[in-house]
Amino acid sequence: MMELEALQEIDSEVRALGGRIVALTPERERYTRNVHKKLNLTFDILTDLHLKTAEQFRLVFALPDYLRDLYRSFGSTLDRFHDEPEYRLPMPARYVIDKEGIIRAADVNADYTIRPEPSEAVRLLRTLRA
Amino acid sequence: MASLQPRLDEFKKAFESGAPPYSAPHEAIETMHRATAELKASGLENIALNVGDRAPEFSLFNQDHVKVNSAGLLRQGPMVVSFFRGHW
Repeated sequence: MMELEALQEIDSEVRALGGRIVALTPERERYTRNVHKKLNLTFDILTDLHLKTAEQFRLVFALPDYLRDLYRSFGSTLDRFHDEPEYRLPMPARYVIDKEGIIRAADVNADYTIRPEPSEAVRLLRTLRA
Repeated sequence: MASLQPRLDEFKKAFESGAPPYSAPHEAIETMHRATAELKASGLENIALNVGDRAPEFSLFNQDHVKVNSAGLLRQGPMVVSFFRGHW
């Protein structure tokens, strides 16, 4: 959620540089619709159901049993949110992809509490344009 | 522009303090630390696609059930793609 809010803050700059932001999540559309509305986002959230695209980026991992049980006790039931009975998730990741489809920046961290600054993406887009 | 990482750090500190509004039990925090450490140790983050790789194409539904195609977006310009786990 904080990632989405931070991306929203750079969306107009990204667009001014000719780029677009998209956020991918395994969540079903009924949830992406709510989040999109709640945060007043101006970029799209795409539903990567069953993690097909995340798999291609090689970002998918399965939650260990003990963590599944913990999340269930919090009420975070991924089988319901994602139709994901195996409790798999994408590692948090942010990519900048150039017009030719080549990855120019990649930030993947197994620790979801560590994220790169969105301003770094803006800086890169500026150099791609130059 | 406010920075993201300080906000994440602040949230983490509040969550891990065990105090309201989250009131996270100590054992739950330990469990989450263990899982993160194990995922880190698995080296999985090193096999993910990286700089220089060709990005896979995708065609997915957005929040309004409109199909969005990565090739279509790239024809207009570069793309910032963020993967996140969900709203919960």
